[in-house]
Amino acid sequence: MPEVQATNKGWGRALILVYAVFAFSALGRSSTQLVQKADEAPLAYGLSAFAAVVYAVATFCLARPGRRTTPLAWAAVLVELAGVLVVGTLTVVDPELFPDDTVWSEFGSGYGWVPAVLPLLGLAWLWHTRPGGAQRNADSPVSA
Amino acid sequence: MIDPLQTVLIVLSLLFAAVAAVHVALDRPTGGLLLGIAALLELGLLAQAIIGIGQLVSGDRDVNGAVFVGYLLGALVFLPLATLWALGERTRGGTAVLVVAGLVLPVLVVRTQQVWTPSGA
Repeated sequence: MPEVQATNKGWGRALILVYAVFAFSALGRSSTQLVQKADEAPLAYGLSAFAAVVYAVATFCLARPGRRTTPLAWAAVLVELAGVLVVGTLTVVDPELFPDDTVWSEFGSGYGWVPAVLPLLGLAWLWHTRPGGAQRNADSPVSA
Repeated sequence: MIDPLQTVLIVLSLLFAAVAAVHVALDRPTGGLLLGIAALLELGLLAQAIIGIGQLVSGDRDVNGAVFVGYLLGALVFLPLATLWALGERTRGGTAVLVVAGLVLPVLVVRTQQVWTPSGA
């Protein structure tokens, strides 16, 4: 299978762990928010849930590269980038819109800015491992 | 929560990240030293979970119980999964997973403490 991108090899594994951490924390955050106080800030909590799905899809598709999953990984990471940019800007311009925090509020400042950097790393990694690209990992002819 | 244990966990997991980083820098595969520290950390996390849940059940503290237990169990499950993921590839990239794990754990421990002490006092 020559077309499989090795997104789950080498340094990509550390990246995937970060994605998994964000998927689970966003999942945990949104589910407790929605279960315990859904009516307080439905937009913020709905957004948290959406972010959780985006991170989960990115995690899975990066960890399981394939003909269908890798394009999905691109899509998820691009949506993630758009999300952090749009929500980040909105929360700075109009804080009232999201009365409770989400992962992407203020460009992820509550999470050490990692949410802002992560999609860039994700895109860089997808680009780096693209077919015929600068894939230099000598040790990565597909094994799994 | 019992603060000394949390402090030990934070220091130990930062040490774990540092040792893993040295392994990455020197291009050494994950070995006994790293797995030993991971095992020690996991024991500490198990103790934290047992003590934490015990204190939650026995006390009548105003704590968001579900979130608190979520963090305790999350930290407990996180390290073995991250270690398995790291061992899936015995390369620098694999060991780099442990650096990330060692940096994420202190955050989980601090968040656990914050949930336990809602006012932040």
